[in-house]
Amino acid sequence: MNNKTKSSFLSKPAVQSTLAALLCIVIGLLVGYIALLIINPKGATEAIITILKNYFTYPSPKAAMKYLGNTLVKAAPLLMCALSIQFCYQAGLFNIGAAGQYVAGAGAALYCALALHLPWIVCLIAAFVAGGVFGIIVGLLKSYLNVNEVISGIMLNWIGLYSVNMLLSGVKETASPYTVQLASTNPSALLPSLGMEKLFSNNKYVTIAIPLAVIIAIVLKIVLSKTVFGYEIRATGIAKDAARYSGMKEKKNVIITLFIGGALAGLGAAFLFLSGYEQWSVTQSSVPSMGFNGIAATFLGGLDPIGTIFASYFIQHITSGGSYLDKNIYPSQISDFISAIIIYLCGFVLFFKLHLNSYLRSKEEREKQKPSVKANKEEGGNN
Amino acid sequence: MVLLLQYTLLFASVLILVALGGCFSEHSGVINLGLEGIMVIGALGGALTLKYINPATPKALILFAVLGASIVCGVLYSVLLAVACINLKADQTLVGTALNMLAAAAATVIVKSINMAENPDNVSSTVQYMAGKKALVVNFGSFQFNWFMLVALIMLILAYIILYKTRFGLRLMACGEHPQAADSVGINVYKMRWSGVLISGMLAGIGGIVYITAGVSEWKFEVGVAGFGFLALAVMIFGQWKPLNIGLAALLFGFFRALSNVYSGFDFLAALNIPGSVYNMMPYIISLIVLAFTSSNSRAPKAEGIPYDKGSR
Amino acid sequence: MIHSLPAFFLTIRKYNVEGKQVAGNSEYAIEMLNITKRFPGIIANDNVTVQLKKGEIHALLGENGAGKSTLMSVLFGLYQAEEGIIKKDGVEVKINNPNDANDLGIGMVHQHFKLVQCFTVLDNIILGDETTKYGFLQKDEARKKILALSDKYGLKVDPDAKIEDITVGMQQRTEILKMLYRDNEILIFDEPTAVLTPAEIDELMEIMRNLSKEGKSILFISHKLAEIMAVADRCSVLRRGKYIGTVNIADTNQDELSRMMVGRDVQLVATKEDKEPGDVILHVENMTVPSKLHHNNAVKNVSFDVRAGEIVCIAGIDGNGQTELVYGLSGLENCTSGKITLSGKDITHASIRERSTSGMSHIPEDRHKHGLVLDYSLAYNLVLQRYFEPQFSTKAGFLKKAEINKYAEKLIEQYDIRSGQGASTIARSMSGGNQQKAIIAREIDKNPNLLIAVQPTRGLDVGAIEYIHKQLIKQRDEGHAVLLVSLELEEVMSVSDRILVMYEGEIVGEFDPKKTTPEELGLYMAGAKRQEVGA
Repeated sequence: MNNKTKSSFLSKPAVQSTLAALLCIVIGLLVGYIALLIINPKGATEAIITILKNYFTYPSPKAAMKYLGNTLVKAAPLLMCALSIQFCYQAGLFNIGAAGQYVAGAGAALYCALALHLPWIVCLIAAFVAGGVFGIIVGLLKSYLNVNEVISGIMLNWIGLYSVNMLLSGVKETASPYTVQLASTNPSALLPSLGMEKLFSNNKYVTIAIPLAVIIAIVLKIVLSKTVFGYEIRATGIAKDAARYSGMKEKKNVIITLFIGGALAGLGAAFLFLSGYEQWSVTQSSVPSMGFNGIAATFLGGLDPIGTIFASYFIQHITSGGSYLDKNIYPSQISDFISAIIIYLCGFVLFFKLHLNSYLRSKEEREKQKPSVKANKEEGGNN
Repeated sequence: MVLLLQYTLLFASVLILVALGGCFSEHSGVINLGLEGIMVIGALGGALTLKYINPATPKALILFAVLGASIVCGVLYSVLLAVACINLKADQTLVGTALNMLAAAAATVIVKSINMAENPDNVSSTVQYMAGKKALVVNFGSFQFNWFMLVALIMLILAYIILYKTRFGLRLMACGEHPQAADSVGINVYKMRWSGVLISGMLAGIGGIVYITAGVSEWKFEVGVAGFGFLALAVMIFGQWKPLNIGLAALLFGFFRALSNVYSGFDFLAALNIPGSVYNMMPYIISLIVLAFTSSNSRAPKAEGIPYDKGSR
Repeated sequence: MIHSLPAFFLTIRKYNVEGKQVAGNSEYAIEMLNITKRFPGIIANDNVTVQLKKGEIHALLGENGAGKSTLMSVLFGLYQAEEGIIKKDGVEVKINNPNDANDLGIGMVHQHFKLVQCFTVLDNIILGDETTKYGFLQKDEARKKILALSDKYGLKVDPDAKIEDITVGMQQRTEILKMLYRDNEILIFDEPTAVLTPAEIDELMEIMRNLSKEGKSILFISHKLAEIMAVADRCSVLRRGKYIGTVNIADTNQDELSRMMVGRDVQLVATKEDKEPGDVILHVENMTVPSKLHHNNAVKNVSFDVRAGEIVCIAGIDGNGQTELVYGLSGLENCTSGKITLSGKDITHASIRERSTSGMSHIPEDRHKHGLVLDYSLAYNLVLQRYFEPQFSTKAGFLKKAEINKYAEKLIEQYDIRSGQGASTIARSMSGGNQQKAIIAREIDKNPNLLIAVQPTRGLDVGAIEYIHKQLIKQRDEGHAVLLVSLELEEVMSVSDRILVMYEGEIVGEFDPKKTTPEELGLYMAGAKRQEVGA
């Protein structure tokens, strides 16, 4: 009896996803640890603990809270990118262009804020639209010209990067490649914090972006599982031809999905840059990794918006943790390395679930067959 | 003008090598989106060889050592893709993407660790290979011939012969078009797909070292290879998965990429006063346009991207 | 003659009950003894024994899903049986993969051809058995051998044509040549006639007789009694994975075979009462639909009507434009010219959704590709055409899950759809017959003016076929218009009120099933005859 409850517990999709995610994390950390050992065996144990501890490295709870705030400030845009990728994945689209949509959002938000001196809400909308437009381009190419969304997404990432570099070179500091400080140039464009900074030891970067990102995740969860639109999106993702047969406008859905996906990533960028936490460097020659890390977060989160909230936090947690490493012994990119290993392992999640399920099923069948041996009657025509 | 030609040929060589890699992988039925990452790892292997090899070694030996190191690294790294996509039937897009990220992170970590071990104050991710690089080039007047151009040409011819004239090629393509048919005549689909992926690892590995030695004598591994793996995929699609067409497509893309390196050398282009970013964007914009026009009638291998499952009914 | 290995000899004797001869010189080319093959949740072959005599044509008869293909896949090395043994010439052999089968001289023409579309005939034939010199292909030798074989057996092919450009019949000849090229002695034909025109079927029968005359042993898998009676020497029957028996064709008749196959007397001819058709529901005028595969049109200038209370059947060989005709009607494909009217309303340019809500239901040809979202639950699949209606969704765009489940329960009950976990069963895990029932329930319950059913019985067993025919006739009796597309002449003859024959994208004849014969229809289907028809 006990056995049965255990196997039905294991067969719950949410349980399986969590289990798989934990497995990926453990193996990822293990590989990371081995890498640290190879680089320098002496401090490796301490180093992996540093990564995991992140802000807990600070002994005073006040400082820890402050740096927890910093981690959250960066986790919010990561969550948005992850949601962008996830939403598109539900419709069968691999939105690797999230990175470029994020860049477009950053460019639009900062340009509105710094060059046009517009208030934050307008900047947010601009980022939303800019990201969405980048998404729409991918969508149009995909649905009307059959262009693989991964390749067009990558191309747009680079086009976006160089365009934004050009766009923002007018609002950069004279002595550095960075854009001018938001707080001193246009404080009205800073996202409001509604007093939340008090919770995080007056960390002024903590803004409404953080709760907003979580709310958006929950909204997406509801849209996907409870609405007609979600029903159509998922049907299009699973079975494009069946969706078309039933009269859904699959081309329109692809474009809308990519618009929303792009808009989410664009919004994510605004969440970061309108907090004043970071400035854009107009000479950067590689696409910001936020969009790519979103892939890790979304798959680690088991392709579920709620799971992704936790996964995004975790990925950002170890990424931030990496910056506390002794920079003269260990490169901080070890965190990126761990995230990348985790994504790679996520590729096996489906395989893992498949085997777990077939194991559970065969076990169930064996148990069923014990009392009576007649299970195989109805299943005639499968050839 | 000579410089433009030189860079065009160099970048075309990179694109030819990597696109052929993609071509072998896709003809066997596996979409290799990890080419970018394989390039980085191949480049790393080659760059480290150049860094450590004694510059007094005969030039031919240096060339072969570099080639060998890049090939070994590329092939080993592509094993990660093969295991995941062929045996464990993982999502090919996801795994390819993971490999790209992993390569960038791993290469940075490795190079930084090496640099730090040499000098604790050096936390950069740059590998320098000024001395070793001389072995790779021969100067004809102002034209700098790079041996890798020849390698690319040889690979192009070889690819054509292998795909269309040999038993291996026939079987490989059968696995990408109709794996069940191949299986029914006793061809081991898994083995052929492994071959396809490993060959792509080899070619992309070489492509990586060619890319980072084009025109510069040090490379910062944090920046990876700037989407060149994906440009190569665009070249492959534009070339309709056929080696000779890929060669021509690569020349076109190579030209636009070269332009961004040398535009300032042309008075009339410099006079236009277009920001450098525009030239940097060119190859990507061109490839988007090209993809838009060629994708709808694409003749991609029919079974590409679909994991082969022998037991499926 | 006494064999040197007595123990071995004994095992042979034990199974070879009729045999007077010993190993190596057996009367049988292939014996499959007590084969059992299980798949998760199903026993596909349950203790099945089939013995193929040298030089005979041995038919393997059974319904869809009886386990014929599984058994042949075991023989061909695609699957391994859990129990039982296979013997070649009286000697036990292990066949672990198609290579082993090939080494033993076993070749197979699969039901779905295993041909690479963009390769030439020659490349397909040599694939896997190439002659090479220093690794290079030697195609000239191969070409000579193929031409010689094609001469000897009367198998006309063009070695340098690409598969995608040649007819289905020629593709099948390529498959046969593939076996002969490998000098196979035992030839398996898996449902070879399903895709052929009557003339091509005759030709194939002739080829099979030739092959057996030349000493080849042939296993012929079919569920068509007439063909088996025409060509086979003996026939083994399977039913639901079990071995029923083997009979000599000379000593039996179609009725006996049919009883053995189904396990009871079957009345495949559906009974229906005469009915006067009503108003025109579907009116098609000069419809032309382009082809996805070729550069010309798949449907050329077709005109016809379907009236209320009648079943109109489109008959024809597969690939003569029926699929595209239905795509054009349902909106999956755009017509380049012509006019379609449904219940008096012009729907030529209407979207798929508009056609559906205007009273058109469509049971699609490919139930996995079009008919179902396989990873959705049964309940979600049952509202696939109606989820947007106020009954199932709120104005704000939320799904009414309780309503959807209630509706699903109702359909499951009413149409007897069987599934593991009721409405929440994932469609993928249901059997083919029940998947089809779900689609039919969904489409019929929409209460359509016009029901289009494309090969609704394909791949199903007799019970399911009877059920579906009854449902179609019920629709007709209730005064709906039914357009049935079928490749099975028996079905065409027994269900329809009017038959339209399609050949190369055109309607070449209109018939009353009471006044025509399958033979006459066959001539039109093959393009040998045509009438001038127009609506």
